Amino acid sequence: MAAAQQLPGPQDLTDEQREAVEMLLYRLADDEFVIAERYTEWQVRAPTIESDLSVANIAQDELGHARLWYDLLEDFGYEEPDLIWEREAGDWRHSTLCELPFGEGDWADFVVRSYLYDEAEFVRVKALEGSSYPRLADRVEKVLAEERYHREHARSWLERLCEDDDSRARVQDAVDRLLPYALTLFSPTDEEIEARIDELGLRTENLLSMREAWLDEVVPTLESAGLHVEEAELPEQYDVHHVDFDLPDETGRDQSHTDYWFDLFDEFTKSYRELGRHSAMKIMKDPDDE
Amino acid sequence: MDLETVKERAGPREFSPKDDMPEEYRKAATRMIQFHANSEIMGAYLERPFIRQAPSLERKLAFSAKVQDELGHGQLLYRAAESLGIKTRQEMLDELANGQGKFLNCFHYPMESWVETPMIAFFVDGAAMRRQATLKSTSWEPYAHAMDKVCFEEGFHVKHGEAVLHELMTGSKKEQEMAQAAFEKWWPRIIQFFGPTDKQSTHHGFASEVGLKKMSNDELRRAFLNTYIPKAEKYGLVIPDTPTIEKNDDGTYNVAEDELDWDEFFQIAKNEYEPGLGQIDSRKKAQEAVAWVRESMDNHEQRLYGGTSPQAAD
Repeated sequence: MAAAQQLPGPQDLTDEQREAVEMLLYRLADDEFVIAERYTEWQVRAPTIESDLSVANIAQDELGHARLWYDLLEDFGYEEPDLIWEREAGDWRHSTLCELPFGEGDWADFVVRSYLYDEAEFVRVKALEGSSYPRLADRVEKVLAEERYHREHARSWLERLCEDDDSRARVQDAVDRLLPYALTLFSPTDEEIEARIDELGLRTENLLSMREAWLDEVVPTLESAGLHVEEAELPEQYDVHHVDFDLPDETGRDQSHTDYWFDLFDEFTKSYRELGRHSAMKIMKDPDDE
Repeated sequence: MDLETVKERAGPREFSPKDDMPEEYRKAATRMIQFHANSEIMGAYLERPFIRQAPSLERKLAFSAKVQDELGHGQLLYRAAESLGIKTRQEMLDELANGQGKFLNCFHYPMESWVETPMIAFFVDGAAMRRQATLKSTSWEPYAHAMDKVCFEEGFHVKHGEAVLHELMTGSKKEQEMAQAAFEKWWPRIIQFFGPTDKQSTHHGFASEVGLKKMSNDELRRAFLNTYIPKAEKYGLVIPDTPTIEKNDDGTYNVAEDELDWDEFFQIAKNEYEPGLGQIDSRKKAQEAVAWVRESMDNHEQRLYGGTSPQAAD
């Protein structure tokens, strides 16, 4: 793809450019925030103290990424309550993969979900390295470095759990359940705005090509671990049959969500509401000064 | 080494796994460190739901990091306890799960609201800091060594707790009232954190003779009150009337201990306090729910190394 023209800073964007930048940032920030919110459920409940510590690390990394992306939305005059605490639950743009609850003890869900998510995260953040919006491109390196570790972590768990039949059956169950939801990571918010994101060069791969790249990575990996991916049973030409995958009714990207999301939103905004807060305390340096 | 020699030599960081320690010493040290490790885990378990409830993104990050640190302390302390050769980490974790493992009184109480979080993170952690700082010179070297890292990180936790308290006490009237109510609920428990006066404490004598324990309960409580009463007042909290606390001219305090509920305290100490059982049982349930993963990891280790070493999967 030819390098798009560099866009100016946040104050000098046209309305159309700004709308595209915002949409892209909501996709990124909401995913990271919500999946991290779910990951923290595993803190002090993971199988070992060691896995507990790594799950906490990963949740904090994702929260840190959400912070970077929300901070870029603040460039447009929003404040944290507008973006998180006082935003309508029905306005959020995260993929529904991020919002599903974990069943008690369902570590296979955590492993599969984080594997599918981290591979997708890697693909989409790679496509931001050459973004025409410099504020975004500048923050990619930090995110990518952390995602490399997440991918290794998820892959190694996936491989180990697939070694014996009992735990592989649990992993298979999680794959069957989660794969449709994972596909929503690549679903469009609004077709027209998504096209504009590509035209403006805000990302260097469009949603479909990223989905192909992701499937080409995850399907063979899952299969080589002895897992079965229903719709991917056709020959090697993975890009031919991917269109057959069924998406769930709620993709999240178009603001359709499962009921779990509304419960989760109520839970994480509970103290903010009970305390009658109108602002969110910042306790760290601004990401631009770090 | 005989017990007399242990008592003679009992200086800071004097003994390590290289020394041949008498069983009495190893058991006493195990009891103390295991209690400490269990407390880290159960404290983290109690606080974990409040990562979700943190009312700002950066506070959420800090809270998750704090809970993670506590788990890390637990890991470190079980290792220090294991080095005494009395119990393995798995045995200690099993004891904690099945309700035999003892831990700090404050972590037995359920916590319901965000305003309670600084009661743990500021006051209880502050109280723990007092004790832990003295343990840097405990006679069991691995324990003292663990305290170096623990104290360093606890310093951040207390600051985190203090910042949450400061936010609440400079917030709306409603926030201030909620925080005061939480303080009143937690204050007697925090005073009891240091346990009964020394004459009632059964394990104190031996532990201090062999250099495991450096300061008595009374001394620690006095030091805590000296620092934390002014701090609480600085933030606008009113010290509750019960228990009656009188300050003496020499800066020490008289705490009317008989006004505190020691029946409840000793019930807690035996893991028999009804509301606290919820914590123990739900953690046990959560641990059992992932037992299949640990089994799977053990099989993995078996295949790799053919041994029977326990899993340490990260």
